[in-house]
Amino acid sequence: MLAAIVPLSPGVLLAAAVTASAASLWLLLPRGQSGRRERTARWLGAGLGVAALAAFIITGRRLGGLGEESVFLIVSLVAVVSAAATVVSRSPVYAAIWFALSLAGVAGVLLVLGAQFLGVATIVVYAGAILVMFLFVLMLAQPSGLAPYDRVSNEPLLAAVAGAVLLGLLSLSIGRLSAGDTAVAADVAPAVAVDALQADHVARLGGELFSRHLIAIEAAGVLLLIALIGSIAIVARGEESRVQERRAA
Amino acid sequence: MSSLPLLQNALLVGAILFSLGLVGILARRNLIVMFLAAEMMLQGISVSLVAWSRYHGDWGGQILVIFVLTVAACEAAIALVFVLGAFSRTGRLDAAAWQSLREATLGRVIDRELPASDTLPQKFPTLTPAGVLPETDEDELLQREHV
Repeated sequence: MLAAIVPLSPGVLLAAAVTASAASLWLLLPRGQSGRRERTARWLGAGLGVAALAAFIITGRRLGGLGEESVFLIVSLVAVVSAAATVVSRSPVYAAIWFALSLAGVAGVLLVLGAQFLGVATIVVYAGAILVMFLFVLMLAQPSGLAPYDRVSNEPLLAAVAGAVLLGLLSLSIGRLSAGDTAVAADVAPAVAVDALQADHVARLGGELFSRHLIAIEAAGVLLLIALIGSIAIVARGEESRVQERRAA
Repeated sequence: MSSLPLLQNALLVGAILFSLGLVGILARRNLIVMFLAAEMMLQGISVSLVAWSRYHGDWGGQILVIFVLTVAACEAAIALVFVLGAFSRTGRLDAAAWQSLREATLGRVIDRELPASDTLPQKFPTLTPAGVLPETDEDELLQREHV
């Protein structure tokens, strides 16, 4: 039915989606224009972005029923749209807040995929800790108003084209996935599959983590400790050298 | 949704997040926004890993995402220390402030004059006045002034 509505071959549609997303990102990225032209470009870019998103959704439907499960569609749209807003927003504080919304969307996607613990951990670790740290630094370091380096981009056209081409290639290869290629693991899979509705999901994940991956867990713990000590050491040495510079001056 | 379409859609979402993060890290010049973009690429990878994990009915992908979270936390801590150090040296969160580290043969980013941004004064929402204005007692006002 959809093929009748959009009488395009999948390849043409994908090419159109890639072109539209590259143009939309280029229009949306800050390029140091004056207010009015910038607003026009942003509206145009947002429109093109919606078109690109619709094209990708239709490609997804051709891949296999994106939108059959409306929860997945909604959370993935939230994740993708606010990710785009993170990349293109002028104010870094707004970028951080959009990133938090994008994390909420990603957590929703993870929940739909049946990774309850990871969904919650994403919210707690990213939105709760890492993002607040980013916001602290922003509040410490942000000059009042928009800095000039927030109003321009490095090579916006090349960056947008590179991202869109990468996206096109990735979705092309995702579309080529078929059950035959990936069914190898069917016999390797454990007897009880990962199921979202399993009551003891977290307990089983923890059991797996602390039995098969015990050494890796220890290594991760050491890594966290080293990062903690290292960041404190770097800050302390920086302060020391600054004090010495001041004394020498 | 059966398993293969779910896998493909989740991989598509992961790919979109990864590409957007790539665009952000290539194009933006604010160090903090560049790090946000890098974290977004990690999110895309996480979504893809969990999708494969679900498809194969295996815990491997989810375990790997836990380690991705760990590494992301470490990376954020150390990166923010470096960003703060860079900020205290240059007074800017600008990646181009460090272009003197480039090789001499590479071109420099030269900032041209930016047109003035006509930022309008922010409009805050105001509540519409509701109800009847209470009658003020003039004597009370007078008394208050004497207190």
